[in-house]
Amino acid sequence: MGASRSDGDHGSRLARDRQTVVGKRLPKLDAPEKATGRAVYVHDVRLPGMLEARILYSRFAHARILNLDIERASRVPGVKAIVTGADNPAARFGYGKDNTPLKADLVRSLRDELAAVAAVDADAAQEALELIEVEYEPLPGVFDAAAALAEGAPLVHPERGTNLFTTYEYEHGEPDEAATDSDVVLEASFSLPYVVHAAMETSAIVAAFDSRGRLTIHSSTQIPFLLQRDLAEALGLEGSDVRVLQPTIGGAFGRGLDIYPFEPIAALLARKSGRPVRISFSRREEFLAAPVRQPAQVHIRAGARRDGSLTFREADALLDIGAYVSWGTVTPLVMLETTASLYRVPHVRFRARCVYTNNPVTGAVRGYGNPQSTFFVETMMDRLAEALGWDPLDFRMHNANRPQEQTPQGLKITSCGLKECFEALASRRDGQLTSESDGRSMEGSDPHGGLFAPSSTVRGIGFAATLNVGGGARIYRSDGCGATVKVDDFGHATLVTGSTEIGQGSETALAQMVAEVLGLPIERVSVVNSDTDLKPWDVGVHASRTTFIAGQAAYLAALDARRQILETAAEMLGTQPEQLVPRDGLIVSVDGAHSIPLGKAVRGRHFRPDGKIVVGEGWYDPPTSLVDKASYKGNISAAYSFGAQMAEVEVDRQTGKVRVLRLVCAHDIGRAINPMAVEGQIEGGAQMGLGYALTEELIVKDGRVMNPDFADYHLFTAADMPQIETVLIETEDPLGPFGAKGVGEMGGTPTAAAVANAIYDALGVRLTTLPMTPERVLQALDRAEGR
Amino acid sequence: MHRQPLALNVNGEPRQVLCDPRWSLLDVLRGPLALRGTHRGCDTGRCGACTVILDHRSVPACLLLALSCEGSEVLTVEGLATNGSLHPLQRALVEHGGIQCGFCTPGMVMAALALLERNPRANSQDIRSGLAGNLCRCTGYVKIVEAVGAAARELAAVPARTERDEAAVAASGSA
Amino acid sequence: MRPFEYFAPESLADTLQIFSDFGPEARPIAGGTDLVLQMRMGELAPRALVNLTRVAELRGSPTSDGFPYFLSALTTLQKLCQSESMRMRFPALAEAAATMASGQVRNLATVGGNLCNAAPSADLAAILLALGAIARVVGPRGERRIPLEGFFLGPGRTVLASDELLLGLEIPDPVGHSVYLKHSLRACMDIAIVGVAVSLHRVDGRCASASIAMGAVAPTPIRASAAEAELAGERLTPDRIERAARAAAAESRPIDDMRASAWYRRRMVEVLTRRALTSVAEAETGSGPNGLL
Repeated sequence: MGASRSDGDHGSRLARDRQTVVGKRLPKLDAPEKATGRAVYVHDVRLPGMLEARILYSRFAHARILNLDIERASRVPGVKAIVTGADNPAARFGYGKDNTPLKADLVRSLRDELAAVAAVDADAAQEALELIEVEYEPLPGVFDAAAALAEGAPLVHPERGTNLFTTYEYEHGEPDEAATDSDVVLEASFSLPYVVHAAMETSAIVAAFDSRGRLTIHSSTQIPFLLQRDLAEALGLEGSDVRVLQPTIGGAFGRGLDIYPFEPIAALLARKSGRPVRISFSRREEFLAAPVRQPAQVHIRAGARRDGSLTFREADALLDIGAYVSWGTVTPLVMLETTASLYRVPHVRFRARCVYTNNPVTGAVRGYGNPQSTFFVETMMDRLAEALGWDPLDFRMHNANRPQEQTPQGLKITSCGLKECFEALASRRDGQLTSESDGRSMEGSDPHGGLFAPSSTVRGIGFAATLNVGGGARIYRSDGCGATVKVDDFGHATLVTGSTEIGQGSETALAQMVAEVLGLPIERVSVVNSDTDLKPWDVGVHASRTTFIAGQAAYLAALDARRQILETAAEMLGTQPEQLVPRDGLIVSVDGAHSIPLGKAVRGRHFRPDGKIVVGEGWYDPPTSLVDKASYKGNISAAYSFGAQMAEVEVDRQTGKVRVLRLVCAHDIGRAINPMAVEGQIEGGAQMGLGYALTEELIVKDGRVMNPDFADYHLFTAADMPQIETVLIETEDPLGPFGAKGVGEMGGTPTAAAVANAIYDALGVRLTTLPMTPERVLQALDRAEGR
Repeated sequence: MHRQPLALNVNGEPRQVLCDPRWSLLDVLRGPLALRGTHRGCDTGRCGACTVILDHRSVPACLLLALSCEGSEVLTVEGLATNGSLHPLQRALVEHGGIQCGFCTPGMVMAALALLERNPRANSQDIRSGLAGNLCRCTGYVKIVEAVGAAARELAAVPARTERDEAAVAASGSA
Repeated sequence: MRPFEYFAPESLADTLQIFSDFGPEARPIAGGTDLVLQMRMGELAPRALVNLTRVAELRGSPTSDGFPYFLSALTTLQKLCQSESMRMRFPALAEAAATMASGQVRNLATVGGNLCNAAPSADLAAILLALGAIARVVGPRGERRIPLEGFFLGPGRTVLASDELLLGLEIPDPVGHSVYLKHSLRACMDIAIVGVAVSLHRVDGRCASASIAMGAVAPTPIRASAAEAELAGERLTPDRIERAARAAAAESRPIDDMRASAWYRRRMVEVLTRRALTSVAEAETGSGPNGLL
């Protein structure tokens, strides 16, 4: 019998000073395997007889397919199977049920899949691909969301009659009245770009049918159970005939949150050829065919009063979602959450329209609407502060969210350390750059080839805060996760969790929680987080939910296992379970008089005629609700994480180049199960945030990606990174396991705003288009100076 | 395409393979040599994931035509750990939290190894510059740089034993 | 990638024979860092690849202490930026190399490869132009010397015949000071948005020689002759530096592309030229441009 809780467990309040595993900076369990190169990623999976496959993509962004001939391709030696639209199963798949694995009559984007070839090696597959003959009738395309809404625009999905996929509309309070009640009302328009995940491992899948007709896939998905179901539907299989295995995952960042055509395509090829099939994307293909972040045009008005209180915010966003819909189309929900609930704003109106175009397919990207919305909300906060004559940090503190507050949107904020985050920034505002970490001389020469003439550089500091879901996010009917904990005769525990390690360290954090509950050293805990045949259900690794939700599930399962062990240990020791505690691999009585190795108690439980095994189970689905379909109000998460960042920049007025010297990241994470891992998540998030701010943009013209490589899609390297200081604020959330809340996305959500505000402080110009490249900065400066 | 013989020394062992002239060193390592610890991140020499050490220089294995490595010495991540224990660089990355998804890690380790071999007293700025060719999307590089710095200090603190030292140790009868 | 025959000859004679046999269908390869990518993308499909790195005559290059200095085409970029003697003798050249790609790529990429790839933005080309380098080329018809100004024909094209090889560069002993400034988005790993190289020598406060070269602002790396004319024989006042910078910007012919607009590039030429001249002037006299302390 498992334990289920929805009220927060106070047993996790093992006094902090007695905790020996949780809260410690432990190395990740999988780190040694990764350090030695032994970890197996999807690209490393080898199955007997496995074929390599390649996909043929459309040559046009919008066209009718008149003819497709695979005759010559099929005669290439080594080719074992070719699939085309004719092989499509009946069902459409995807969040909008608007997609098919291969396209037969119509292509709607340059990444539309027309055919795929499986052959004994990649060269043969490529050779065959080049021999597939396609006759197109090009059609006019639409490559801009506004144009797609205009009268007479080409329709991406004609049967829908419109390119408008969906509209989100929200209001709380009386924004129009509030506007007239304000002492200052400001407005601005923002332009947000395409960016990509750029995980170091490219997309890949291995699909294989066994002799019973069951499909096993090896995937770097973040949603193994949803994928299991979606794939079954897409292929016309029963869900019970699909098994999803997850090898080591080389980064995900939201890429794996959906089903994408290459996945059923691999399965179709495996079925047709009777052999395992791998599809692995080249890096170029990753840029050209993997999902990307929706670009958006946003207009916002915001007001405040002289006493420093915010009055209203009104934002209108137009998102280009591309040719087919994915879960990424729900990002406006998060934009809405930030617009309505970051800081205390009594009146808010929000609208977002998601529009089909013949542009690249978009999906979920880390932050999921939050980097975008934090950018426009926090720029306006800065402007309001200035207009009212308030210091930017004081203004923010004045309006900060507070603990135990419910926002007008219905978010039930419990723990909230936003004020403490701001205080951490305030105390570091006049901080010095350490010479070691910056390493560059402050004036004169830049060893990397530029020359900062001292008189032409100016410095500035900027701030931005973030509100993020930290206790799950109910955007799907269930936000639950299951776990089991099995303990063996040697005192070793195996946690089987529905969640997935994508590199973020969830496996280790969960192991730490289980170890703490069972009184075991971390070395005696293993974690299994692969195999849908084996692990309990979980909705997926997203929305920073894993520490909180999978953590609670693991915690409950461990508690259940502990209960079973203590029951038997009590019998064996002739005492009551309440008199026993697990510690250091033993079960000890509180008076210290008796002890028994934990493994011995486990063995004692099953080594008898009426024996039982020790397997604990836990299921946790937080006490939250789906937002109301009409009003979008409700409490979507069991806890909210907060953060604030301060960026110090140096801007070269003559070139427009911005160098971030220092970034201070203060984040309320409830409790750091593993502070080293939490810092790592924030620091990694900041690298993405900095790229979003300054250097990353996927350039798309007429539906075509112009920079599908690392030469011209610029990620921050080690040499570009500023000095980063991370401050962890622990507010001990009442519902979080050991008080913890989520942190996965927060590190990169306020960064672009902090940098933009710092640029304003330095130069006196505001940029509202990302990324803030040197050319854009110089243009803005010229305009401001009348040149 | 007609395959040609290629002989090279990999992780201290002489290896021979039949090689398609179009193959890169990375193709040979991951293919016939089954050394899959070296990862393919971009195949364009721009991410550093495939960094190996060739004749004592760090190189991007994806850009080297395999046949041009005839007779060379190649060191990959698989050749680092000795007797089951991690190289100090690997251990430092583990202990300092410099590994998240791990995909960039082998290339990072090899690049750092080459860097420290050339500049044992590398400071944090040298490390950042030296690892600028290795992209990481998970860590923000902070703990990687810390780890490499720690490993540098550890490696510098252990004096290398010269032949004279060895002889002296043997003569004195102590371990 | 199309199939090809692979050769690794050990003598110049064997090398030239292969080029003679295959004609324009044979390409030389050294580090291969540009060539392999172009072949993978299908931009180039040679029938023969000739690895130059084992050719005795090319390897044993007379890296002389003599004058003029001979820089072998097979010198790797990493060797260029790390060698003490290069850093002493041609610091701007060493610095230019250090800005390119990554350490790993620089361990393979060669001077010859960078020049023969003939990208308009080639960092080494700009600084070598400013240093007055002369290319030494060898082929079946013998050797010839080509001043670098005449070496580049357009993006990806040089004056080399398909059976000729670049042996290396003769670089006159530097007098005065030189600097290479590269404007790019990141600290490294990027192709230059604009690159400006300056080499300047003053006698009695007047410019005895001034070379200014620019990359990524024309179909080839070019000399800014009008800007140079502004300086010849003149004192290096801030005003004169300004005029030279403007002249350089005016004679650049940048295009709009994904990396930057023509407007921005022209502006960066002006900024970088001004900065380069100022820094070289400071280095020369230790007291900055004439009229400034």
